[in-house]
Amino acid sequence: MKNLKLYNIVIGYMLIYSLLILLSGVWLFFRSQGVEAFDDILKIITHPASKSLHNIIEILTPHIFAMGLLIFIVAHFLLFSIKIKQKQTIIVTLWLLFFMLLNNSIYIFISIELISSGLIKLISLFGFVFLFILLLVMVWVSL
Amino acid sequence: MKFLVTKDSKLSPLLRYLIIGVLFAMILYLFLDILLHGYLLGFDIDSIKATLFGDEENFIEPILFDTLLMQIHINLFFSLIAIMTISSLYIRFFNSYERTKIFVHLMLFLGFLSPLLLLITFLYLPWLLLGFLSIFFILHILTIIISILILKKLIFR
Repeated sequence: MKNLKLYNIVIGYMLIYSLLILLSGVWLFFRSQGVEAFDDILKIITHPASKSLHNIIEILTPHIFAMGLLIFIVAHFLLFSIKIKQKQTIIVTLWLLFFMLLNNSIYIFISIELISSGLIKLISLFGFVFLFILLLVMVWVSL
Repeated sequence: MKFLVTKDSKLSPLLRYLIIGVLFAMILYLFLDILLHGYLLGFDIDSIKATLFGDEENFIEPILFDTLLMQIHINLFFSLIAIMTISSLYIRFFNSYERTKIFVHLMLFLGFLSPLLLLITFLYLPWLLLGFLSIFFILHILTIIISILILKKLIFR
């Protein structure tokens, strides 16, 4: 059963892929908001780009599926961790799922003008990015 | 990591058929992915260059950066799922430690290098196009061969 060690290679590469998917996703979001420089990020708070409900559903549908699946795939490796306690994994994963749902759904409220500020969108985005990177680090530490 | 190992290493018939099914789906996906990239970028080197960098003589605009980035974003996700599945099955069914290690590294490394090279080619280094194409085809051919080897082992065991 010495081949069991080889699964660590697959898990290690999965962390790199996940990070690249996260970075390209954030890059795509900022581009859709017209962000060219760091200062432009703050403009999202006052003037989030207007999107139609059709456009939002089109983005939201694959993201809910793919992000939910990716969180599950990454987090389930912590079942085998001997360094990270399960209670810590549960807390991080549940907060991550909460931020994922908030980040994906908040634009619906902006589009129907229930919320005019993009602040919650930015907070949920950075919260999601922080927690996802934390989850990746937890898996990396467990390898 | 502490993986769970059961004493029963023999495959159940259901699991065997399920793995055969998923491998057929993976092989089909890999062929279709080559076709999809052909439709998106072009089927020969001149049309790929025209798609990526535009062609003034024929009034062809370069592909939008957002479109390309979205394609790379999607590709990374699908590559992760497909190559992770095939690598895990390869580790499960092949005993040679060193050879398995090399092929697993190769598949997973080329899997993320291919979309990254496409991005670098488009943004900074157009001369890397042949490098991207070579890696793209090596990855797909290697992954298809590995899948066929696992299938062979499962069908003719």
